[in-house]
Amino acid sequence: MQDNPRDAHLERQLEVWAASHPDTGLSPALRQKVHGVLASSLTPVKPLPSQSRLILAFLAVFVACAAGLIAVMDKAGFHLMTGAQMGWMAAILAGGGVLFSISLAGQMVPGSRRALPFSVVLVLSGVAVIAGIALLFPWRASSDFISEGRPCAVMELMIAIPAAAIFWLLARRGALVASAGLGAALTGLTAFLALTPLQTQCMFQQAPHLLVWHGATAAILIGLGALIGDCLGRFGPRLR
Amino acid sequence: MMRYQRADPAALEELVRRISPPLLRYFGGSRASRNDREDLLQDCWIRIHRSRHTYRASEPLMPWIYAIARHTRLDAYRKRRRLESREVLVASVPEGLHQTVPELPRGQDDFDQLVASLPETQREVLVMLKVSGMSLEEVAFATSSTVGAVKQKAHRAYTALRRALGKDREHAR
Repeated sequence: MQDNPRDAHLERQLEVWAASHPDTGLSPALRQKVHGVLASSLTPVKPLPSQSRLILAFLAVFVACAAGLIAVMDKAGFHLMTGAQMGWMAAILAGGGVLFSISLAGQMVPGSRRALPFSVVLVLSGVAVIAGIALLFPWRASSDFISEGRPCAVMELMIAIPAAAIFWLLARRGALVASAGLGAALTGLTAFLALTPLQTQCMFQQAPHLLVWHGATAAILIGLGALIGDCLGRFGPRLR
Repeated sequence: MMRYQRADPAALEELVRRISPPLLRYFGGSRASRNDREDLLQDCWIRIHRSRHTYRASEPLMPWIYAIARHTRLDAYRKRRRLESREVLVASVPEGLHQTVPELPRGQDDFDQLVASLPETQREVLVMLKVSGMSLEEVAFATSSTVGAVKQKAHRAYTALRRALGKDREHAR
């Protein structure tokens, strides 16, 4: 960079600029004040478990809830799907669960290593669901498109809301600093959890129905999560 | 830090003594007044204290600290923006408010304005790299991004500054 005289000039300017930032030490009064405030509430704390254990905890809840719901709900969709449809959708939904679990666990710790940026998680999982449904399921829509779809969307919400509360109970121990991303990751995980039993329960295994009433509801849930998270981050209680 | 997690008061004192100066320098990166920097420091320490259980011994300490400091600064910036948007302009500025930002030599003041005109994410990366002396990997940890993304932001900041400096020189001729 130094080869170019303009770059050398810029480097010099940046060095002067960096050096111009005040490097005044901490005054004893301020040090005393900070120490006094913190010492009054100094109690032993148990460090968070490792990243992999957090991810496993989220996945365990995801699998347990999905399996429990599949067991108790109607299995009309299960009997209507072909082996390929079932296998691919299971892989896509489980993959989404893994990706959002990794993202959520990463957001619980400030300054932690991010294997995948959240935007990549969002795009990957979204493209996988859309492509999977579009390629695997027939493009037919019945005349009762809305009346058939509404119960699916309501069911998805009924599963996602309590599931979000359960994941929140697990996530709230972290230092939750990126609120919009955290809200989207949390609702993303719950949306994938809700989609799993819904896929085996739904008797309308057609691409338009699955894309609009299952997929779009999940997208709205993720958007709502991001919005609520952002509002809480801006106007709600600060970092725990 | 682990002793601090076990509630050792001596460890807390040592941490406050050692970590506060680089934090004050980091908060000074936004040309804040001394009072503002000290307020930010206190707020940051309260956040560090409340989230001390999220630090893991296997991870580097400073990126964890700077990630919290970064959010402290962003929250303060948002709060200031909200307050400014509600402010009513008065005809004259009350006395004493002019002295909050330290005066710089003319040329450096211009450069400071150039840096201030950069987008927040690029300016933040420059402050962490140049003022706080962090490595690319540490900045990536602190900003929850990748080394590639940090390099890209730094490159864009350099390009914008280089272009602006070039224009200044042409004007000078």
